[in-house]
Amino acid sequence: MVEKYHLFSQTNFYLWFSAVTAPDMPVSAGGILNLRSGRQYMEIEGKSFRAFRERESRLKERDGKKEREKQHKRGKLTATERIDLLFDSGTFEEIDAFVTPCNSEADFGKVDKVYGDGVIAGHGKIGNRLMFCYAQDFNVMGGSLGAVHAGKIAKTQEMALKMGAPVIGLIDSGGARIQEGIASLSGYGRIFHNNISSSGIIPQISVIMGPAAGGAVYSPALTDFVFMTSHTSYMFVTGPNVVREVLNEEVSFADLGGAEVHAQKSGVAHMIYDDEENTILALKKFLSYLPLNNIEDPPALPSPGPGSRGADNRLREIVPDDPNKGYDVKEVIRHIVDSDSFFETSALFAPNIVTGFSRLNGRTIGIVANQPKVLAGVLDIDSSDKGARFIRFCDAFNIPILTLEDVPGFLPGIDQEHMGIIRHGAKMLYAYSEATVPKVTVILRKAYGGAYIVMNSKSLGGDFNYAWPTAEIAVMGPDGAVAILYRRELESAEDPAALKNELVQRYRERVANPFIADEKGYIDEVIDPAVTRQKVISAFDALRNKCVKAPERKHGNIPL
Amino acid sequence: MGERIRYRKLYVLPTRGRSHQFSLPLKESIRIGKRDYPIQLKNDERFGTYVLWKNRKYPVEVVRSGQNSYEILFNDITYNFTVETPFSYRRRRTLTKAIQSPLSGEIKAPMPGKITEVLVKEGDTISSGDTIAVLEAMKMENEIISAISGTIARLYVKQGSTVMKDDPIAAVVSD
Amino acid sequence: MKIKRVLIANRGEIAVRIISTAKKMGIETVVMRTESEPAALYTELADFICEIDEGVAGGHRFLDIESVIGAAHKTGCDAIHPGYGFLSENAYFAHKCQEQGVIFIGPPPDAIYKMGNKTIARDIAISAGITVARGSQGNISHHEEAERVAATIGYPVIIKAASGGGGRGMRIVRSEAEMERMFNMASSEAAKAFNDPSVFIEKYIDSPRHIEFQILGDHHGNIIHLGERECSIQRKHQKLLEEAPSEALNEELRSEIGTLATEIARAVNYHSAGTVEFLLDADSNYYFMEVNTRIQVEHPVTEMVTGIDIVELQFRIAEGEKLPIEQNDVRIEGHAIECRINAEDVQAGFAPDPGRVERLNLPTANHIRVDTGVTEGSVIVPGYDSMIAKLIVKGDNRNDAVRRLKLALDKVWIKGVKTTIPLFRMLVRNRDFIGGHYYTDFLEKEVTQYHYNSYYEEKIAAWLAVRLFIRENWGDETDRYDEGESGQVSPWLLNKRLRQF
Repeated sequence: MVEKYHLFSQTNFYLWFSAVTAPDMPVSAGGILNLRSGRQYMEIEGKSFRAFRERESRLKERDGKKEREKQHKRGKLTATERIDLLFDSGTFEEIDAFVTPCNSEADFGKVDKVYGDGVIAGHGKIGNRLMFCYAQDFNVMGGSLGAVHAGKIAKTQEMALKMGAPVIGLIDSGGARIQEGIASLSGYGRIFHNNISSSGIIPQISVIMGPAAGGAVYSPALTDFVFMTSHTSYMFVTGPNVVREVLNEEVSFADLGGAEVHAQKSGVAHMIYDDEENTILALKKFLSYLPLNNIEDPPALPSPGPGSRGADNRLREIVPDDPNKGYDVKEVIRHIVDSDSFFETSALFAPNIVTGFSRLNGRTIGIVANQPKVLAGVLDIDSSDKGARFIRFCDAFNIPILTLEDVPGFLPGIDQEHMGIIRHGAKMLYAYSEATVPKVTVILRKAYGGAYIVMNSKSLGGDFNYAWPTAEIAVMGPDGAVAILYRRELESAEDPAALKNELVQRYRERVANPFIADEKGYIDEVIDPAVTRQKVISAFDALRNKCVKAPERKHGNIPL
Repeated sequence: MGERIRYRKLYVLPTRGRSHQFSLPLKESIRIGKRDYPIQLKNDERFGTYVLWKNRKYPVEVVRSGQNSYEILFNDITYNFTVETPFSYRRRRTLTKAIQSPLSGEIKAPMPGKITEVLVKEGDTISSGDTIAVLEAMKMENEIISAISGTIARLYVKQGSTVMKDDPIAAVVSD
Repeated sequence: MKIKRVLIANRGEIAVRIISTAKKMGIETVVMRTESEPAALYTELADFICEIDEGVAGGHRFLDIESVIGAAHKTGCDAIHPGYGFLSENAYFAHKCQEQGVIFIGPPPDAIYKMGNKTIARDIAISAGITVARGSQGNISHHEEAERVAATIGYPVIIKAASGGGGRGMRIVRSEAEMERMFNMASSEAAKAFNDPSVFIEKYIDSPRHIEFQILGDHHGNIIHLGERECSIQRKHQKLLEEAPSEALNEELRSEIGTLATEIARAVNYHSAGTVEFLLDADSNYYFMEVNTRIQVEHPVTEMVTGIDIVELQFRIAEGEKLPIEQNDVRIEGHAIECRINAEDVQAGFAPDPGRVERLNLPTANHIRVDTGVTEGSVIVPGYDSMIAKLIVKGDNRNDAVRRLKLALDKVWIKGVKTTIPLFRMLVRNRDFIGGHYYTDFLEKEVTQYHYNSYYEEKIAAWLAVRLFIRENWGDETDRYDEGESGQVSPWLLNKRLRQF
């Protein structure tokens, strides 16, 4: 506690003592005057101050050389080091540093008397903004969660909720503390309950930096975003041992619930990084996009001005002429938003939809974009889930949404239908429609059928819907449409292929273009791709004070 | 809290070869032997962004940047780096020793184009140097060759598929 | 007959190159503009532009005989210069031009046909007394036949497309096991590229040098050669760097092969410019390869050392003039090297890297010539070849030329696309290249890294990475928050106060 220690200047000593008024302390004018003299100092130290010092030094042990080495050998940092990396220098204030495990006196004897009970909790400044945090300490009983440990976490959560400040959980825990039994389990329940009460009011972020097993996984799952560190963090409901016993299947920790698995397959982890320092650095960058709570606006950077960048001709070139060719929508994003400001979320999960935060003219926006490079940007179960959750986060925290649309439709197939693409697709629809934050859509190319409506169409409440001249807005793609509309003609034609080609061409020209939708008012404007940035900035500017009063209800019933 | 973590050094790891060390705070110079040569990052209308070093201009462009990984195009050459702190540098070395993942991986398309022929099927055993598929790009047929020996676990393409650069073509698991 | 107006049925740097000579000669130029390159440099330099739509069904209009000749008629051109590639070696096109009364700037259709078909060309060479590498008698249609032929001439063999060029439809086969696959690949590639699946087999000469002779002939039976070009720096049979003269030839050999080259041309009544290609093995045995009946990409190196404008002579020959020079007038002075700067990613296996050329600064000096079809802002489109520019440097001798090239390469400044510049930077530092000891598969066999890698350049790049890392991660973001907003009372607090009312 070096820094705190320094805070106690000589004058502070006096203040501290007068506040506490230690019984044996001669609070005389002389005493105070002589406070600086060696004898007096010794005298103070000799009394309660010695106990104070001793406790302080016990606290220091948790970040001793031995403890650090233990964690470093595992490729991990200690809880203290993590907090140091996360908070602005010298701003972290710890709470409940000296609580001890509740049954440490019990005969069970398996629980050491440790200050803090394996978790460091408190608040401090990140980017000069108030944030709350708890960090589990794997060196203390494997970071296991006992009743006191849980109480500290819950206390942090409750304080954060009152203050309207985000909570960050740095998780490195073996799970429930078996010795404490039901008390420990109940602790989990309290944490979950707090997670839910805070949901949508303050941003909650979990950073998995070690194991998170059993019930412990559900707190991260309830939070808004989950960060994981490759190779050293795992999440699973039942571990490899149980899997072996019950199912007789061999699986490694990494293959069952490693960071890569959760980032790519399950979608549980939103962001993964190679090591803890970069995980924390990325988290700090990420936090700079978020508001402190659901009432405030996200922090803004000074606006570079809409005209700070001229027409961007590259945007005219990115979409290929051949409708069957893919392209990278992230390049489109980079050319629209402020330079280097795109922070992608869930990059590896359902990559056929791209979600992430960015700054547009200094202000945070959320971006949802179909990715034509992967599966032609089709909407499927995973991409609907990913998109819907991201949209709801943005809506809860006053982050305007920019949608970049190039979607051929929903993914067909038995697999998708049986797994419930209807239910999952509906989430996306629900999320978009429910969102009351400013919503702007730019149709880059394909906008077909139901998927067109889903992707923040005008009829779902899109505030400004633009289209590039390359847009094709129609009920279905030219090939499918022609096959249905001209079935008979095609059957009886001498050269069906040639006729089909001609009809497809005609369909493209007459139906699948943005001008009809423009003329009928289903989109607001067909724009030159080169000025997309300027158009979108002025749209969001106009929508700054958008206010929608939804009828009162307890909550809607999103199809989960 | 504890003593603040302060870095005295940062390491830069290229994809191949030795790492570079930089002491902090970062000096605006590069050392040759015992002399420091000042380095300047500039930008102008005629040359765009460039580095001025030893009276010579070098074109520079940041192609891609991740959390701590960077792709930098410097003097027409692409460098892929990760920037490591002393701790992450050590961690990387311990972990690579500990994990030693089997030589499995994906074979990726070296350039955008169209797959004109697929020469293997899932479950086939291949050895490094075998041709997996033929990719037509810029009117040339290019053989996609596996650098790994093993079994084809998954094929991501079929004849006629169009691929972008770096799209996976097949996943190979080594035996 | 004087040519008054010429249609240049080509694009890119060669169109620009032809325009510059035409301007000098007072000939008006017409070019064809396509949708994919509406603002190309050549369209800006030409006197007239003829708009054409690019074909919908794959093929494009530079290859469409009817529309090219139609364009010439429509714009009142009396001649067509085909450049290289596209229709330049299409005998039928040359014939059609003649038939429709337009001068085809190039050799007679018959010569194009004979030289274009490698089997016929080889027979002509043999009857002119030139050694050719042993190979199949005529085309081969099945891999089993290929295996038989290969067995008689011995592996390795090379499969070539009968009507090919530029490395397409070409495969080296080192053992019988590879034959079936390679044969089918070569054949299908040939079919796709040239509309002709026929291939033939030749003995493959290991480590040969590619030596080619520039020839010029007029309508009056005069044929001369302008010396040789060495084009052995190749990758997958694509030339990357050419020079003149070759280190491998002495005066005697030069004149011997040069004379044979003119003999072949004479055998087909050749006129206009052309190139006879030979392979030269380590013992200075030479083998006839093929004749290119057009202007070559690498013609500037010959122009640099001879001082002759080959395109000008093409025009004058087409007008019916006699060659103004005889063989004895041809003097080769100094040494020239040409680098093909392509938009390719050397580090990614020379993958094309199309895109916009954001910055383009090319060196200028008396001894430097740059032929380019792009300007700053031009887009290198994926459909065409990826050439950005040709950098040609001349020196008093080879060492001088290499030294000047090294300096010139450091002055080339291209941003926006990756280029082959790092390859040339590596070459001018390669001991074998500096010594002139190289051959056609030199790059594949002797070079492990295709780009120049300097420790200090890597160090500077690494320094930049550190700088970025520090700025992105430890730069104090909060200093940059918009003051106007963060100075206000927190809305969270305001909300609380409102509720208290």
